Amino acid sequence: MDAAAPRPKENQGEPLPRVDARLKVTGQAHYPADLPTANIAYGALATSSIAKGKVTKLRLDDARAVPGLLDIVTYGDMDKVDKPKFGNTGATSIGPLHDRTIFHDGQIIALAVAETFEAAEEAAQLIRAEYDEEKPTATFDSPGTATIPAAGKSPLFKEDVKAGDFDAAYADAAVKIDQRYSTPTQHHNPIELFSTTAFWEGEQLTVHEPSQNVTGWKVELARQLKIDPGKVRIVSPFIGGAFGSKGPMTPRTAIVAVAAKRLGRPVRCVTSRMQAFGTQTYRAETRHHIRIGAGKDGRITAFAHEGWEVTSRPDAYVVGGTSATGRMYDYGSVLTHVSLVQADRNTPGYMRSPPETPYVYALENAMDEMAVALGMDPVEFRRINEPKAEPIGKKPFSSRSLTQCYDQAADAFGWVRRDPKVGAMRDGDWLVGMGCATAIYPTAVAPCAARVRLTVDGDVRLQCGSHEIGTGVRTVAGQMASERLGVSIERISVEMGDSSLPPAPVSGGSISTASVCSAVLKACDAIRAKLFAAASAEGGPLAGSHNEEFELAGGKIVANSGASAKVEDVLKAMQVGAIEEYAEFAPKGATPEALKKLYAGTPEFHGGDQDEDSVKYAFGAEFVEVRINRYTREIRVPRIVGAFAAGRIMNTRTARSQLMGGMIWGIGQALHEATEVDRRYARYVNRDLQDYLVPVNADIKDLQVILVPEVDHAVNPAGVKGLGELGNVGTAAAVANAVYHATGTRIRDLPIRIEQLLV
Amino acid sequence: MSQPSAPFNDGLSLSRRKFMAGTVSAAAAAPLLASRAEAATPVTAEPKLRQPVVTSLRINKQAYELSLDTRTSLLDALRDHIGLTGTKKGCDHGQCGACTVLVEGKRLLSCLSFAVMNDGKDIMTVEGLASSDGRLHPMQQAFIDHDAFQCGYCTPGQIMSAIGCVNEGHAESENDIREYMSGNICRCAAYPNIVAAILQAREETKGA
Repeated sequence: MDAAAPRPKENQGEPLPRVDARLKVTGQAHYPADLPTANIAYGALATSSIAKGKVTKLRLDDARAVPGLLDIVTYGDMDKVDKPKFGNTGATSIGPLHDRTIFHDGQIIALAVAETFEAAEEAAQLIRAEYDEEKPTATFDSPGTATIPAAGKSPLFKEDVKAGDFDAAYADAAVKIDQRYSTPTQHHNPIELFSTTAFWEGEQLTVHEPSQNVTGWKVELARQLKIDPGKVRIVSPFIGGAFGSKGPMTPRTAIVAVAAKRLGRPVRCVTSRMQAFGTQTYRAETRHHIRIGAGKDGRITAFAHEGWEVTSRPDAYVVGGTSATGRMYDYGSVLTHVSLVQADRNTPGYMRSPPETPYVYALENAMDEMAVALGMDPVEFRRINEPKAEPIGKKPFSSRSLTQCYDQAADAFGWVRRDPKVGAMRDGDWLVGMGCATAIYPTAVAPCAARVRLTVDGDVRLQCGSHEIGTGVRTVAGQMASERLGVSIERISVEMGDSSLPPAPVSGGSISTASVCSAVLKACDAIRAKLFAAASAEGGPLAGSHNEEFELAGGKIVANSGASAKVEDVLKAMQVGAIEEYAEFAPKGATPEALKKLYAGTPEFHGGDQDEDSVKYAFGAEFVEVRINRYTREIRVPRIVGAFAAGRIMNTRTARSQLMGGMIWGIGQALHEATEVDRRYARYVNRDLQDYLVPVNADIKDLQVILVPEVDHAVNPAGVKGLGELGNVGTAAAVANAVYHATGTRIRDLPIRIEQLLV
Repeated sequence: MSQPSAPFNDGLSLSRRKFMAGTVSAAAAAPLLASRAEAATPVTAEPKLRQPVVTSLRINKQAYELSLDTRTSLLDALRDHIGLTGTKKGCDHGQCGACTVLVEGKRLLSCLSFAVMNDGKDIMTVEGLASSDGRLHPMQQAFIDHDAFQCGYCTPGQIMSAIGCVNEGHAESENDIREYMSGNICRCAAYPNIVAAILQAREETKGA
């Protein structure tokens, strides 16, 4: 059988090919910078070469002399526009052209606009700034950092979770570890470059830009430009990879909109790969201090996790992964604390499993150390610390299939063949190591709207302002409609990525499938109710039957009795050409303001650790084999197995692909990815895809994804747990643990590089 | 530290404009071979620099005659001047592979090649693969069958590169495919599916 299309098991949907697959293989999928736009002018950014200080003078004469130059937007030109706001919708509060203050290296100082791309680039490179420069603070341990408690600094991180008396329990523990871990700066680097194309038709502004949040951006851009949100349209039909980077809007969008207004013609600015490192967000570097105490029987009695995260001076961006690590196992007592370390850097932002990637890496590396200290098998160690309820609020898990994940992954991986002795497994010149780790990701859901129309011809049009960032959400939304309306997927058109569509929440936090499918389900069920009522009404083709006895299949309403009526005939009897339903879904526990907030682009998230009745998480177990050359210490990952349980799987093909991509991300985090920061200048050094290493085809060999069946009706009406961010959570620790098993060298600072193993 | 960093003036005291002018005047036939010394010679050809050059390209079996800035990359010519946006820009530095096209049947990074350097050449892009009746090239179909993409942005480059890889004879083993497809980054990381797709389409592609 084709590995890409796993056979569905219980509560898993068919592996239908993506509905937009043909567009993607023929070059007809139009990403925002591909959308045809007449009479376009090209914009190019000029950015600061210092990280801290003030721009005292900008010399524009050489740039203005470039033939074809149309305009330069710089200081003073944004004064009539409001500054950006930092939050879920805005990447930073820094208004780069509102203020001559430089907060970070690579900050926008001007936008050159010209008739051609070449002329715009030439002009931008001729813009010369003079600065009043101050010595910048780059990162941890740099002079001038300010460290503040993170709790309460972000609505997403309210408190440092704790339970019991950690100090007493740790003091009494028979076996303990006390270690420090770190993760580096990382940039998303989606292959699609960041771009903004803006044009005005009278007072109406249209922006083509890759976005994970078209509704939020519409509202935020309108606020900055001081116009009615109804006059702003954000269009983003296909997004060339996002991973969080296209969630918050950056200051560039308003600058390009202003340029288009000044010029009276469309302006497109495609940010260079190098400039993106400073003008977009990134995953900040983190540090961790973990202490675990346990009895000789392996039961954990004490767990402490302290984290430090870098952020910018003006914005308190927090990830705070202790909310998840503090609830992972049956610890007994828990102590956590997260600190922010402010430096002269651009504001960080969401990057695929923002809290879990760094924090669970540290926890799962520490769990392996603890298993070694106890002389216990690492799988068994996790098994005996499985909690009945989460340790902080003592709430039950809505579902937790971690043990099943470990069983199935261990079996497929061949964990029984692992010789527990360090360095015992070899194959010629290669030291072989095997490691494992747990993946966890909170299951959240948000309000969402959708419009579904079923026509008398049997076609379905589905509209929802969500975003196809590669997850397959277009396909699974269509699949949900197909299932509920009994219409084949070929007859369903799915429109997404446009702020003029019914609003959907930001495509972040792995909420899209659950939120969108719950809204589509609601719209389809409303259509069903109308159809069934008409069919069973007096004089209808199925008069006398009750609604709940009906099903829709193959264009027919089928009653339990076997009697059936064509949908087409029922619609004709109703004297309508189509039934269209606009549904607004709000999750259980939503506030009365929830739907209003959806339209305002600030949707409420529910689930995770926030609900009263239970905590909601998806889990997985990952097993990795590493091979390390005994002479060169070259590190390879020839084999990786991950088993994941995430409630209902809408489509086993797209689910497997997302998890696979996540696992490979995890390999990248373990072995490749790090943005190097020059401490002298607070500047990113490796600002391109040659020197910022990501996994390539040759890095990946045998990869297996197991979709563990799980049913969870508590999470949302669709029964779906998000899995787009789950796959890369456990991987880096599993690799580090396998490296230890192969070599006896414990690497606590990512990424793991050859030089760390040359001991 | 008072000037913005720019790839063409770091350490060279030389603007991109002058660099290009110098190279065009000194060695029009091989502009990238100009030495630093040549490039630094006083600029005399500047007025000519931005005069468009008429360039003939044969793209997907159709002839185009374009008047282009000499600095226009083949990638930008395809996207901005011809409207063939299937070929993608991912880095503009030849590091990601998203802009891969076939020139005279061989894969080429279109961002690293000026359009004028391809005068008279036969170019194939992703838009030219399917037959006129809509039948997909076997490699396109294989990419669908094996879900060899997620966001789809690198996909045109992956498919063009895959066809080139097969035609080069570098798709004979899975290891070869992995190695010779490593110039095409897929950030969604569909790599195992890309390998499976190439294996499926290999024999048919050889005959295509």
